[in-house]
Amino acid sequence: MVGGKQDALAAFEELYQAHGARLKSLACNLLGNVADAEDAVQDAFLKAYRGWGGFKGGASPSTWLYRILVNSCYDAGRRRKRRREDASCQAPLELRPAAGRDHPLRLTLEAALERLGERQRTVFLLAEVEGFTHREIASILEIAEGTSKHDLFAAKRELRRELRGTRLASRSEAEA
Amino acid sequence: MREATCADLEAALAGEDAELAEVFSRHARSCAACGEELALAEAITAAAPSLRKEWPSPGLEQRIRAGLRAEGARKRRLAIASWATLAAAAGLTIALVARALFVPPAPTAPAAEQLSIPAIDDGRERLLTEQAAAEVDKAEQAYVRSIDSLSKLAEPRLTQSRSELVANYREKLLLIDSAIAECHSQIDRNRFYAHLRLELLSLYREKQRTLDSLLKEDPNAL
Repeated sequence: MVGGKQDALAAFEELYQAHGARLKSLACNLLGNVADAEDAVQDAFLKAYRGWGGFKGGASPSTWLYRILVNSCYDAGRRRKRRREDASCQAPLELRPAAGRDHPLRLTLEAALERLGERQRTVFLLAEVEGFTHREIASILEIAEGTSKHDLFAAKRELRRELRGTRLASRSEAEA
Repeated sequence: MREATCADLEAALAGEDAELAEVFSRHARSCAACGEELALAEAITAAAPSLRKEWPSPGLEQRIRAGLRAEGARKRRLAIASWATLAAAAGLTIALVARALFVPPAPTAPAAEQLSIPAIDDGRERLLTEQAAAEVDKAEQAYVRSIDSLSKLAEPRLTQSRSELVANYREKLLLIDSAIAECHSQIDRNRFYAHLRLELLSLYREKQRTLDSLLKEDPNAL
């Protein structure tokens, strides 16, 4: 890569083209709304641009970018919690699930995910929604691969428990 | 033949043992409770991709680009301010050293005169700065040559391997080269820019570390 400043910008634009959609989706699922998600993605790119010298070989710049994004989302979530803002997960009108993938369980699952711990929720989103491997997740979250597998298993077990409760409640209502 | 029981539920759903998952699936067909748990697990896996969010955000890319440009401008302003400070400090050091070397003490002079710093000839100061810059250029060229040698050693690994690990190295080296080129273009505008010289040095060090690290990787892992 040659040519200076324009190329540094071009490299980050390439990262945006390749990963922007997934970064937005992950941020939206972690923060619950489009505006905060876009702010977090923008923030992640700026932090990456400012401190890219700090990232080590062995992880790709994109993995590093996801790590910065996840941390930005955690920070934003904590700030919001401190401000006692309404963390409503109501999707705005323009937001839609990925084409052809709407599912009746989606809303129940979203609500159940809200109740998971921070890391289990992130591992579930990265693995089951965004399709990352455990190796990639381990690199993004700086945890062991085994921890990623364990968190995913624990998250699914908790989600099963939540969904079971929801189904039992629905049945009771129907019977009444 | 291996058989599964209700106690195998969690192990089967962990997905680590394909044979157990298959055997448990047969068990679940004849056990209502396990059948329901398995159905729930499958429903979660099937519904998860629907959580992926997509929405048009035409302004976001522009916002990011504008943010990165503003950050670049901010870095340049900071660098200019740092250079001005460095230049002032260097000028003061040169003046103090020159005074100590070339100006004999004047024991009869009043105290106020002893404190004054004599004027330095502009030509001499510039000459000293140019000498320093020339030495930096020379050292930099030697450093670049050694990094080029490392790059040649690493080239077969970078070009021949299709592994994810090497792809990561390639991506990082591209970013470093991009930043080095950017730094050079700024130095071309002012070669006495000490802050940029330090930044360039740290970039070369990072490239050297990355190449070293690549060459130390186990060939079987590439």
